[in-house]
Amino acid sequence: MNRLVSLALAALGVIGIVLALPARPASARPVHPLGNFSVNQAIGLDLYPDRVAVTAVVDLAELPTLQERPAVDTTGDGTVSAPESAAYNTRVCHAMAGAVALRVDGHRVRWSVRPAGFAYRPGSAGLHTSRVSCAFDAAADLTRPATADLVNGYRADRIGWREITAAGHGVHIVHSPVPVRSVTSSLRSYPADLLGSPLDQRSARLQVEPGAGPGAGAAVHVSGGDPVSRWVAQADRVLERLVGGHLTPFVGALAVLLALMLGAAHAALPGHGKTVMAAYIAGRRGRRRDAVTVGAIVTLTHTGGVLVLGLLLTATAGLAGEVVLSWLGIASGILVAAVGVAMLAGVLRRRTPVHHHDHGHSHEHPHDHHGHPHPHPSRPVGRLSLVGMGIAGGLVPSPSALIVLLGAVGLGRTAFGVLLVLAYGAGMAAMLTAAGLLLVRLRDRWASRPRRTLARLAALAPAGTAALVLCVGLGLAGRAALGVVH
Amino acid sequence: MRLRILIVGLTAILLTGVGAVFGLHHGESPDPGSAQASSSLPAGQAPADQLAASIARAQKHLSAVPGDYPAWAALGSAYTERARVTADPSYYPKAEGALHRSLKLRPAGNPAALVGLGALANARHGFAAARDLADRALRMDPYSADAYGVLADAQTQLGHPAAATEAIQHMLDLRPGLAAYARASYDLEQQGRLGDAVALMRRALGDAIDPADIAFCRFQLGELAWRAGRLGDAETEYAAGQAADPAYLPLLAGHARVAAARGHTAAALADYAELTARYPSPGYLMDYATLLRAAGQPARADQQLALAAAALRLFSANGGTDDLGAAQLAIAQGHAGPAVLAAEREWSRRHFADVADMLGWALHRSGANAEAISYARKANALGARNSGYLFHLGMIELSLGRNADARRDLSAALALNPHFSPLDAPAATAALHRLGPR
Repeated sequence: MNRLVSLALAALGVIGIVLALPARPASARPVHPLGNFSVNQAIGLDLYPDRVAVTAVVDLAELPTLQERPAVDTTGDGTVSAPESAAYNTRVCHAMAGAVALRVDGHRVRWSVRPAGFAYRPGSAGLHTSRVSCAFDAAADLTRPATADLVNGYRADRIGWREITAAGHGVHIVHSPVPVRSVTSSLRSYPADLLGSPLDQRSARLQVEPGAGPGAGAAVHVSGGDPVSRWVAQADRVLERLVGGHLTPFVGALAVLLALMLGAAHAALPGHGKTVMAAYIAGRRGRRRDAVTVGAIVTLTHTGGVLVLGLLLTATAGLAGEVVLSWLGIASGILVAAVGVAMLAGVLRRRTPVHHHDHGHSHEHPHDHHGHPHPHPSRPVGRLSLVGMGIAGGLVPSPSALIVLLGAVGLGRTAFGVLLVLAYGAGMAAMLTAAGLLLVRLRDRWASRPRRTLARLAALAPAGTAALVLCVGLGLAGRAALGVVH
Repeated sequence: MRLRILIVGLTAILLTGVGAVFGLHHGESPDPGSAQASSSLPAGQAPADQLAASIARAQKHLSAVPGDYPAWAALGSAYTERARVTADPSYYPKAEGALHRSLKLRPAGNPAALVGLGALANARHGFAAARDLADRALRMDPYSADAYGVLADAQTQLGHPAAATEAIQHMLDLRPGLAAYARASYDLEQQGRLGDAVALMRRALGDAIDPADIAFCRFQLGELAWRAGRLGDAETEYAAGQAADPAYLPLLAGHARVAAARGHTAAALADYAELTARYPSPGYLMDYATLLRAAGQPARADQQLALAAAALRLFSANGGTDDLGAAQLAIAQGHAGPAVLAAEREWSRRHFADVADMLGWALHRSGANAEAISYARKANALGARNSGYLFHLGMIELSLGRNADARRDLSAALALNPHFSPLDAPAATAALHRLGPR
């Protein structure tokens, strides 16, 4: 049972990894991504039990730097002296402090302002960029739960990258829409991601409460994962490249083989209630045929689901894939939970006659000849539950199969994509069925050695399995529901 | 059990075989037609709010399906479009990256990416390259209205008005709508048919739904009114544009020009200060400098010219070529020799009216009036009725002692728009005054 619980937990973990958006590592580029006109800002908020502090950085690109030059070189002698630069730093910091408003429970804090540096840096076309740093500090009582509202209105009309970060020190940030750490390392390197629009974070509302612990930042990246999921992810990318590339007979065959293997790999990884299905078969004394049936139904549902969803997504531009996946996740979770309820009900129903028999009354239970109580001998697993389990297992399309299909459709290779999805399903079927058969055989071997303690434990299995199935179903539905709400 | 394993194995082999057959059949290329149908972004005329939404959607889609080359091309075109609508040049490198990604995924038979690169080349003043890209795209897909749009813009700027008109006609036939009407309107204006140009731009406005597109059409209508000297109409259009989309910056320039013409110099200077702070393009900075000089603030005017010089250097550093702007700046800074060289370089690339006008004016400033006049005449002969061109022609004629011609052309410049430039309009008036009545 412990093993099952840990498997179920692993399943939830993998679902989490799969659902998390694939975040590309940001490669750094020295120039301003927002062009030579931009005024870029980073506000780093640090929360302490008795005070709040801000590290503010303004990174001016070439033209704004040149435009500001007369404001720096106030004597107009063509050079920037140390006092001039210090005076400019102070002026900018005060202007910024006036525009960076932090309200703790609605009360605006009064910053004490400390200029923290001003420097020119070489930019493009022989021009300079400049970097102004400031430190703001204010007293605040964060020894009780509070709401902190930060609004950055400094030079609001300028084109530029704007980021906010927030970290708690001895203060626990319960909810934060901003990350703990700057993605640009405080405007030193900007991500050159073609798929990212420039960051424009102008305000943040934080829920804080006393207590240690790092701030709960928004940008927690799921990195790496175990070697198997890494391998699967890599194979996914290889397949995507194959689909998009030049098609030769060899490449076509290779793509199908890869899809078969990927399907098998995804079925082997615990996730989407497949583990529960295995537990279900084991716990309910399913037969080999049941294992095959569930495998087939999962595969059919999955293949059909991917095809239908893929066609829907290509036909309607407004449909967001993730939302649909979330709703399907809810449906699948509810289905699993329903099966769990049915199992539990079945177990309770059967408990009664067993109980009856123990008190030695009128008639013998037909299956209890041998003296050791089997939990529920040899009645075939309910067809309906079996089908429900299979559908639940296949209802949430594997994102990688969906991606392969969408990619192929996008390239005008719809039929090829459908073929790959079929191969994917075949791989899944093979692996699931094999796993189910293995489980049945293992359990049979285990059950054939009658040991008293084990048998006792086994007597508890149906109820435990049913409860586990119910819990995991609810968990799956809840998790998917979070995705919809978000 | 063995039978089942056998069946599974056979199925796998069968599927693999079918995959190989696919490779055999599709070895050439995926069908571009169906691929294009799946592209989710209309490249030519997606309005800004929808544009932002479709950019976000395409970004999401492409992070899931990184091999979808039509979507990459559409995203690149959307980035270019966004740069145009918001006057935010930071999207150009992004656009280039996305379009090259599309081409890398599908080097042949990818007209959408070529059209996107063409639009980007136009934005960076690489008009010849834009024309070639549009031609290549049209050879693959002769029904691409967007390719004709790129071709029309390039041909206009290259000084081939007939070719431009033809391309616009194709565009109007293929997809009548805002993008085609706006280009047709500009074409008519270049031919001096201001009334028709206004009528077509009104039609474009009728087609515009999104605030940014409404602002664009209103601005163009304002410009048409301004160039015809109808201050009140221009002001109305600019204001209507600002009401539709306050973020559309060119409207602020229009507003400033009207304010300056009305004599509200302080307000005009404030507008320009805000405009150049938000978007320090060489053109706006030079306009600001002109107004500062007219307002008697030469030191601040020189500051703006220094900024314009930096902005031009950055434009070149980012892969653009703008010798027309360089010539204008050199003239504003009083460097006639370099201005002639820059204008000649631009003229060797393209015979557009603006370039002829600038080369003529630069030659005049360097004292070569005999040469200058042929270029000034070319600028005016191309058909556009432009106060600036007429003023330059008139001043060159004046230097050559052709007083009657000078009087005629300077009067025409002022008659067209008495406020055409805060410096040149008073200069024209003064010259006419010196010439005396005829």
